[in-house]
Amino acid sequence: MSKVTEVDIALSVLDHQLIDGGGHNCGKVDDLEIAGLDGDSPQVVEIIVGGNAWRSRGRLGRLAARLSGNAVHVPWPEVDSVTSVVTLKRPAAELRLNGGDERWAKLVGKLPGS
Amino acid sequence: MSLKNVLAVALGIMSAIGGFVDIGDLVFNTQAGAIFGFQLLWVVVIGVVGIIVYSEMCGRVSAVAKRPVFDLVRERTGFGWGLATLIASEVVNLMTCAAEIGGVAICFQLLSGLPYRLLIPLAVLGLAVSSWVLPFRWIERVFGYLGLGLLVFAVAAIKLHPNWGQVAHGFVPGSHSGDSLMVYLYFVVGLLGAAMTPYEVYFYSSGVVEDRWGRKELGLNKVTAMIGYALGGFLSFALMIAAGVLFLPRGISPQFLGTPALAAEHALGQVGLLLALVGILFAVGGAAIETSFAGAYNLAQFFGWRWGKKERPARASRFTLSWLVIFALALLVVMTGYDPVKLTEYSVIFSVVALPLTYLPILLVANDRAYMGANVNGKLANFLGGLYFVVILVIAVAAIPLMLLTHGGQG
Repeated sequence: MSKVTEVDIALSVLDHQLIDGGGHNCGKVDDLEIAGLDGDSPQVVEIIVGGNAWRSRGRLGRLAARLSGNAVHVPWPEVDSVTSVVTLKRPAAELRLNGGDERWAKLVGKLPGS
Repeated sequence: MSLKNVLAVALGIMSAIGGFVDIGDLVFNTQAGAIFGFQLLWVVVIGVVGIIVYSEMCGRVSAVAKRPVFDLVRERTGFGWGLATLIASEVVNLMTCAAEIGGVAICFQLLSGLPYRLLIPLAVLGLAVSSWVLPFRWIERVFGYLGLGLLVFAVAAIKLHPNWGQVAHGFVPGSHSGDSLMVYLYFVVGLLGAAMTPYEVYFYSSGVVEDRWGRKELGLNKVTAMIGYALGGFLSFALMIAAGVLFLPRGISPQFLGTPALAAEHALGQVGLLLALVGILFAVGGAAIETSFAGAYNLAQFFGWRWGKKERPARASRFTLSWLVIFALALLVVMTGYDPVKLTEYSVIFSVVALPLTYLPILLVANDRAYMGANVNGKLANFLGGLYFVVILVIAVAAIPLMLLTHGGQG
């Protein structure tokens, strides 16, 4: 983000909807990678989406993580804006965030009128 | 207001009336009437005001902040509690969907005379094809309008000449007669749960986003929720009054879903019976679609998938598969032959347990200026929202113990 704004990451970023550059839903902010926690200025470096990202989210999260695949890591500079949703700059496919719907699209696509 | 707006309001209200009553209301209102006469009418009033308060609130939040209910559940309660709420709500949605499908099959059976088991897959196929083919607005309206056949119960209730003094007395809570206090309380919880089922707010708030409502539609939101649900509540009164006049003195316990329709037949003959069955068919059919979609909306909103009838099914493939799978699982549940009335009772009682975690995030976000700007809750909405949250907490704690203590209202 180019502008300096104050954001409470626990309340306004974590668990919020991710929207890609095309305006489509593409997952949730399931976890955040923060660097420099020992120093003066910790920084969010990555958004982690899906799968293993749930491991750190309580007992049910660990179970859910076991049942699903790898997480997708999105570098923070890909974020365009943070409002009630977190909007990314590029389309989901370029950030590998479209895997889920792609996987099932072939099956659903066989139904007439899909 | 232009003619077009008046028409939109009228159409919205009509579909809300037809959409208000589902299998939970049918079962609990008729049984309450058959056991306690008119003594529990006051509970329906409390339930209807509750669903008006929270529907208006979640409609307003969805229109202004563009965030439907399960988005908020995840945001405000976090992953762990959110996932627990998701699992609970999906179990309840599935049970409710199965019960509604059972209701559709029973209506088909009563109308055609064909075997029940054969009609269950046909019911599911009919509902799935309607959901696939019809646009969102049409699903809501077709089922809502044809569900208005239930108005026959209002006519029946009047034609059965109840003692209106006793009816009026039923709107005041007080001492009771007919069965034990525990059974009475079980029905209080059941009637509140049937009126305030969580899937209604999941579906309603997602519908607001699907219909692309914004601040301009806030008036429509308020009027639809208030008048539509209030008039829908009259159908609940009618069911309870008709059962109180007809079933209570004869000692009939309506353990079969077709029983309420007999009240319409008794008062209005064959036409009454037909209208009642068509009304029930579309009311529970619409609710079956709403529950399967509510399940898919919740999953998609929890995990952040693309969702909605506005999306092409293959683009939002996980959402599409979700509602298809819910229909398929519900089909399996009904095919086991488990009694739809019992299934309904369980689904309503368990849904009460899921209510607090559904309603709390709505209440929190409706007060958040960062989301709502000038459209945050006013004093009245907060007073009623807070009051009802306490009511919901109490019944959520009491629901399962009461069900166990009374053997599901059997005493």
